[in-house]
Amino acid sequence: MSGWGERAPERVEQRIRVEPDGTIVALSGKIEFGQGIRTAFAQLVADEMGVAIERVRVVLGDTDQVPWDMGTFGSRSVAQEAPVLRRAAAFARELLARGAKIEGVVPNDVRLLPDSERRYVGKPMPRLEARDIVTGRATYVADVRPPNMAHGAVVRPPTRGAKARSVDDTAARAMPGVVAVVRQGDFVGVVAERAEQARAAADAIEVEWTTAPIGQGGALELSMRDDKDVDAALAKGRTRLEAAYTLPPISNAPIGPSAAVADVRADRATIYAGTQRPFGLREQVAEVLGLDEKSVRVLPQMPSGTYGRNSSADAPVEAAILSKHAGRPVNVQWTRAEEFAYAPNRPAAYLEIAAALDEHGRIAAWRYDEHTNVHTGGGIDPSFAAMTSGRNAIPHYRIGKARVTLHVEPTPLRTASFRSLAAAENIFAIESFMDELAHASGQEPLAFRLAHVDDPRLRRVYERAAEMSRWGRAPGARRGLGLAGTIYHGTYIAEVAEVEVEPSGRVRVIGVWAAVDPGQTLNPDGVRNQIEGGIQQSASWTLFEELRHRDGRVANTGWDTYPIATFRDAPRTIEVDVIGDATKPPSGVGEPGAVAISGAIGNAVFAATGVRVRQL
Amino acid sequence: MKATLRVNGASHAVDVPPRTTLLTALRDDLGLTGTRFGCGVGQCGACYVLVDGRAVASCLMTVDAAAGAEVTTIEGLARGDVLTPLQEAFIATDAMQCGYCTSGMIISATALLAADPRPSEDAIRDALAAHLCRCGVYVRAVDAVKRAAGAAR
Repeated sequence: MSGWGERAPERVEQRIRVEPDGTIVALSGKIEFGQGIRTAFAQLVADEMGVAIERVRVVLGDTDQVPWDMGTFGSRSVAQEAPVLRRAAAFARELLARGAKIEGVVPNDVRLLPDSERRYVGKPMPRLEARDIVTGRATYVADVRPPNMAHGAVVRPPTRGAKARSVDDTAARAMPGVVAVVRQGDFVGVVAERAEQARAAADAIEVEWTTAPIGQGGALELSMRDDKDVDAALAKGRTRLEAAYTLPPISNAPIGPSAAVADVRADRATIYAGTQRPFGLREQVAEVLGLDEKSVRVLPQMPSGTYGRNSSADAPVEAAILSKHAGRPVNVQWTRAEEFAYAPNRPAAYLEIAAALDEHGRIAAWRYDEHTNVHTGGGIDPSFAAMTSGRNAIPHYRIGKARVTLHVEPTPLRTASFRSLAAAENIFAIESFMDELAHASGQEPLAFRLAHVDDPRLRRVYERAAEMSRWGRAPGARRGLGLAGTIYHGTYIAEVAEVEVEPSGRVRVIGVWAAVDPGQTLNPDGVRNQIEGGIQQSASWTLFEELRHRDGRVANTGWDTYPIATFRDAPRTIEVDVIGDATKPPSGVGEPGAVAISGAIGNAVFAATGVRVRQL
Repeated sequence: MKATLRVNGASHAVDVPPRTTLLTALRDDLGLTGTRFGCGVGQCGACYVLVDGRAVASCLMTVDAAAGAEVTTIEGLARGDVLTPLQEAFIATDAMQCGYCTSGMIISATALLAADPRPSEDAIRDALAAHLCRCGVYVRAVDAVKRAAGAAR
């Protein structure tokens, strides 16, 4: 858990600043990539300081300005930062009222504005970037244009980790617009005046590569829960059931391929990047350039939504190397094919479950084996694996005696952070299997789940989602309703999907109803939007997506071969009810919407057709 | 290669290599970065612009082909600070998350409403089907177009 919860005492000046024109600047190490945290943080700070929200400017991730932060992932931004920003803003208001400078440690007993007096928090609010987005003024990473900027392109090896044996750049150097051909170790790239010139020159460079077999991550077997006498309990159950579920590797597939702009000088560097880990990137770039960390400034820019992909830095490091050698700012824009071929992905998963029910139809024993690969860029780390590759492998139900084992296995595919990490895989298996158990024992699926739920917040979201979807109705020929839910990092969610299975076997999602309890809610419409988006994206993973690869090389590298859901595939309705328990601290909503929908769709297909979906 | 582009009501002389795409010229020569690069092969919709009122992928059109036509980009829709009903509707419904695909969606929806001021739900989905959105705001975007169509009535 290191680094996620623990922090040095918070100093107010690291969080709140007042500009000469009266603008309140709020500082956070988190970054915005569509989840709406800039807006949520501004609401919070405006309330606590008693100013109009227009006066608040939120600075995110600029390593020269914001306090150190581990990174933006795990739906942690609001949970982690909201209390800190709120307290800092409250203290700043006190200091201003006293005519004092904004500095010092935020006292533990700082007086917070009562919830009832908050003007912005809890109200729906369009995102602050909205006007810039609809007018095209919003600048994303690739839109940064420092003076004298050139463009870069990289020569890609046939497989990861291949060594450059020889490089022939004679032709490339003579091509129009070429500024520099760069080789640093096994990195080979080109800088040119125009992007298409850099690309053409990179294509003209002949590199002989030495490849070696790759296997990422190594192997790890980790016991996540191991009660006594599980096998005996399994053997003597009244109803016994076993099943296995398979999910293919899939891509984060951002609409905007990776990009970065680097401006490297002899003694300092500025990196414009869409990173989720500004401080991690600063460290990485400093090392590659041989600079002191303090001489490197990472200025996060809005990337296209990347959902975990930008926990790994690629383009920013490439741009830094190219800029260093070219002596000019360099913009690196990956192609669509590069993004599919070289970005990290969600690994495959194979999930085996066995369970036994007692004579009352209650789960008496549970055995779960999760086989997958590493889910983070850093490789296998036994102290993290249960939280990453094993995320949500322990069911949110009362399951009797249980043994849950995580098997992390090597893969030639590059895998790393993905929206919700392994939670969507595990919840697909667990919620599909709960449905199978209910049907095998002649129990109604909702009632069967509720019979194994102790937590009232979990019960409430299941009941509300059922009510919203009019659970129990007969939706018509070839149609079915399916239910699934989860608790993800403190957020409770249940989702019902209605599907229609066409005679061809094609599955269409007609509607989705979701009830979510993320504790105290800062921006209810922002929450709804995130949950809807998670549902839509995850429905696409479920119905359309599979990354094919051999020996680590990705075979489908375009939207034609890696189709995702389009406007035509979108459900007619996605209804989200935010029933946050206001007495509980806020928890995240960026990922939970995506976690349960595969199970809901699979269960709906079974309801419609009697065919169980065990492979996505 | 020298050419003159008509973009957002103004003429711009550009000097670009042969076969340069309209997308590249807009972004890298005219600095109109509101038109986004997504795939370069006409499969994602991020780079759509209006060419003589028709929504097209600017990554598939050369500067040569665009010369002489009236090009409108996302930057050219609003009149000063006055947004179009579609832009207002996208804000009001928060039909965006990261916003990377939004320019293209608004361009195609603009062409749709010009041709069919009261489109059906299916017509909206068909008109926007070229625009991939990974954040998953499809249902909201359909609502935004309906709302704009209502406001324009």
